[in-house]
Amino acid sequence: MTTSISPTKAGLPPAPPVDAARRGFTEIIAPYAYITPFFVIFAVFGLIPLLFTFYVALFDWNPIGEHVFVGLDNFSGLLGDTRFWNAARNTVSIWLLSTVPQLLIALVLAHMLNHVRLRLAVFFRMTMLVPYITSVAATAIVFAQMFDRDYGLLNWLLSLMGFEHIDFNQSVMGSHVLIAVMVTWRWFGYTALLYLASLQAVPRAIYEAAAVDGAGGVRQFLHISLPALRPVIVFTIVTSTIGGLQIFTEPLLINRGTPNICGPIRQCQTLTLFLFEQGFTQFRFGYAAAIGVALFVMVVALAGLNYFLSTRIRPVKG
Amino acid sequence: MKFRNVSAVVLTVTAALGMAACSGSSSETSSGASAGSSFEFWSFTGIDAKGSAAEYKAKRPDVEIKLTEVGNAQETAQALTTALAGGKVPDLVLIQGDDLPKFVQQPQNFVDLRTLGADKIKGDYLDWVISQPTAKDGSIIGIPTDVGGMAIAYRADLFKKAGLPTDREEVAKLWPTWDAFIETGKKYTAATGKAFVDNAATSVYSQVVNQGEEKYYDPAGNLVYEQSPQVKAAFDQALKAVAAGITAKQSTFTEGWSAAMKKGDFAVIAAPVWMLGSIRDNAPDTKGEWDIATIPGGSGNWGGSFLAIPKGAKNPKAAWEYIAATQSPQGQLDHFAQARSLPATPSVYKDPKLTSAKDEFFSGASIGTIYTDSLLGLKPFLIGPDSTTIGTEFTNALTNVEQGKGDPAKAWDAAVTNIKAAIGG
Amino acid sequence: MRTTRPRSGDRVRWWAYALLALAAFACLFPLYWMFIVATTDTATAIKLPPEIVPGGNFFHLAGLVFSTVPFVRSIVNSLVVAGTIGVGQAVLCALAGFAFAKMRFRGRDALFLFVVLTMTVPTQLAIVPQYMIISALNWVDTLQALIVPGLANAFGIFWMRQHISSAISDEILQAARIDGASTWQTFWHIAFPLVRPAAFVLGLLGFVTAWNDFLWPFVVLKSPEMYTVQIAIKALQNSFNIDLGLAMSGSFLATLPLLVLFVFVGRRMVAGIMNGAFKG
Repeated sequence: MTTSISPTKAGLPPAPPVDAARRGFTEIIAPYAYITPFFVIFAVFGLIPLLFTFYVALFDWNPIGEHVFVGLDNFSGLLGDTRFWNAARNTVSIWLLSTVPQLLIALVLAHMLNHVRLRLAVFFRMTMLVPYITSVAATAIVFAQMFDRDYGLLNWLLSLMGFEHIDFNQSVMGSHVLIAVMVTWRWFGYTALLYLASLQAVPRAIYEAAAVDGAGGVRQFLHISLPALRPVIVFTIVTSTIGGLQIFTEPLLINRGTPNICGPIRQCQTLTLFLFEQGFTQFRFGYAAAIGVALFVMVVALAGLNYFLSTRIRPVKG
Repeated sequence: MKFRNVSAVVLTVTAALGMAACSGSSSETSSGASAGSSFEFWSFTGIDAKGSAAEYKAKRPDVEIKLTEVGNAQETAQALTTALAGGKVPDLVLIQGDDLPKFVQQPQNFVDLRTLGADKIKGDYLDWVISQPTAKDGSIIGIPTDVGGMAIAYRADLFKKAGLPTDREEVAKLWPTWDAFIETGKKYTAATGKAFVDNAATSVYSQVVNQGEEKYYDPAGNLVYEQSPQVKAAFDQALKAVAAGITAKQSTFTEGWSAAMKKGDFAVIAAPVWMLGSIRDNAPDTKGEWDIATIPGGSGNWGGSFLAIPKGAKNPKAAWEYIAATQSPQGQLDHFAQARSLPATPSVYKDPKLTSAKDEFFSGASIGTIYTDSLLGLKPFLIGPDSTTIGTEFTNALTNVEQGKGDPAKAWDAAVTNIKAAIGG
Repeated sequence: MRTTRPRSGDRVRWWAYALLALAAFACLFPLYWMFIVATTDTATAIKLPPEIVPGGNFFHLAGLVFSTVPFVRSIVNSLVVAGTIGVGQAVLCALAGFAFAKMRFRGRDALFLFVVLTMTVPTQLAIVPQYMIISALNWVDTLQALIVPGLANAFGIFWMRQHISSAISDEILQAARIDGASTWQTFWHIAFPLVRPAAFVLGLLGFVTAWNDFLWPFVVLKSPEMYTVQIAIKALQNSFNIDLGLAMSGSFLATLPLLVLFVFVGRRMVAGIMNGAFKG
């Protein structure tokens, strides 16, 4: 992979006449050489492992012991495993709780940020990217503290206002909300910037014409902004589906009393965490691979479905 | 301009990586060239491996120990498994008792310590402890470092405020049985309005279940967790504690647990000997306010660890020399003085160094005798490959009830169902 | 209700500012809280009512962080990993993007379609075999196990191709060829300088992603001297002493380098994300 970008060549002045045949050959292979690194790395660390997952999933595979071929047993085991369905339910729930509000908040903020006369625009835009550069691990630690049942900031505020403490970590819904809050916090600003970019591509004149025709803010938003945003919304829905179904670090870090399963009854264990638990703490590589295959199918299906649905839905004419 | 320099660096790095990729396997062996007097040691946190290593270095300045505290015990065992699978192993590794059976089942991954002289010293250790690292084929893959005698740590100052006795003898008389323990808790909670004990899963279930003669496996190695009377008794005892409303609902080793300990939001923790260091670290300001009393039921063992040498170790000899020197009866006694880890070598249990040891953090309690007494007359049970998993499912079910999320009447069945899913049977 | 409409030229309404300020507060407060706990004593995190101003304990806690885990080493490791990935992605993606945008070769369109399709494949689900491959290469517990897989970025190639297509006219390249420049020279001396801002932002995003990556380093790295900062802050949580001040201090120290970087390049990052990230 390094031959194509030989550093000596780069420093030379424009080439003196070289022998044509050789140059011709180099020129022919050059483009292939330029794209080779990607394909090699993707093959070795992406594609081959992915295909190999399907193979490993057919074994009872102990990394420090035997590998016994078991056919589809891992998959039938998975279908009858309540922990798997629990993790699947949690994953979908957390994904919905984090994606829907995130996209809505981003939409509203992008609309706000799109004012020409907005002061402090640069400040607002930059601030919204701060969560994105904060690591998930740091985010999980600080949010877990703020949402703690007995000693957390939020519950203290709630009790000041006369409410009961909410047990975010141990209850099913609470832990899902907590994780969703972290995911939303991390991504809403980034998504808002993507939306803002698309909004800015809409010529001002269109809005002005609409205003002249008597269209108010909401109508302008529905009939001009939203259609313009459609492709980028599809894009963010698909990417947040792919990302949302693979949430791992937050549930790993928020419930330390029950490592790797996120709560005594696995109330916030996601599929990726279940995969990790089975693979790297129980060392059932075959079973973990089967979970990987199942998750893969889910991601591709859901992303496809999302793409299909969101390209079909068109704003109402009017 | 600047960017160009950077890119030159990258090209070099990329080229170097390309070469590293080709030569990856060969560079591995050459790095151990000067391994004659150094070895790599993986341990876990909380047991003062640094202290042991330093003590050894004082005696053997020629030896270099590359010590890594990988994480907690469970994580260290996981790291060891991935290392065994990945081929890059340490020379010496500490494994906690509950994690050991999985490795004993695959003895081919470890050096049979008999080849290094384990036969000669195995008589130094408690029988039921040295039997744990002994594989079916007779090979010995680990040497015991300590055992986990049991007791109860309590806040004497908080007991006083609640109108309970504070003297450790009298406190022990408050709870000859676990039922009496719960009754004491009710009195405490009624007097103070605060929780008595940190949680039911660790401080009740995991104690009671470790006081029996049979836990999750029968002596022949068959799974009996469903029928074992001790397991059911421990489970029901924990449910009673939850129903009594005396637990702080703080799971061990969590942020809330640590915070509640600092603030005195509970007064009692079941404290196997290795827990003492954790109390000291988490609530340093409570020094002198704690004391230690005999555990209800009197005896039991929870914990204990083993040192093993993986097959691929580069310097098994140096690792063995370390084991032989630090885990001799005298070595374990010295380490007890240092780090409060209880020797697995009964020959020193009457040594004045152990019997006279007092701990100021715990109001001068004679920890040496309290904990060794808890081991006397102990009839140990078999730990099996799935003991950790089974125990985790039971405590999780209890925690769930304690948090008010689960029905106590259904908790046992739920736990059993989960165990079957987890261990596939 | 006032009659003015939020047309582009109109005054911004107060509630727009209120909403934006609320969002900005939400973005910054967790970091501020992290800082507070990281600068006061351990008990602050659990003190109610909470402290709201920083204390003077920062260096004490930071010292604890440095003595509990090899934190300096972990920052160096993260810089090496994220830096190499950032720069490597910028160059490799520009190169591949250049080939796809401006060169003619057999199979080009099919290969490009393949690159785009790989974006939809969640390859990190194959983590078990990935670990096996890393084992087979003897790369467990090494930094190249993080760096090399991180160099491939299909999205980056897609992105650079778009930029190169639109930013560089064929005429310039033609002229260079007539002057006798090789393909490489054309790329390095003409094309790359023109798309350097885009490549810079791409590298920056690659850097941030690599810096914050957790799952893969968590699986691959074993010994503390190989830890990246993210794994180091997880390790801080691990000890039997559950010290929130320590964990928060570590989190803050792990975030600080990126915050500093962000002060300098944040504007370009925002602009980069908005300019190129998505053009429907």
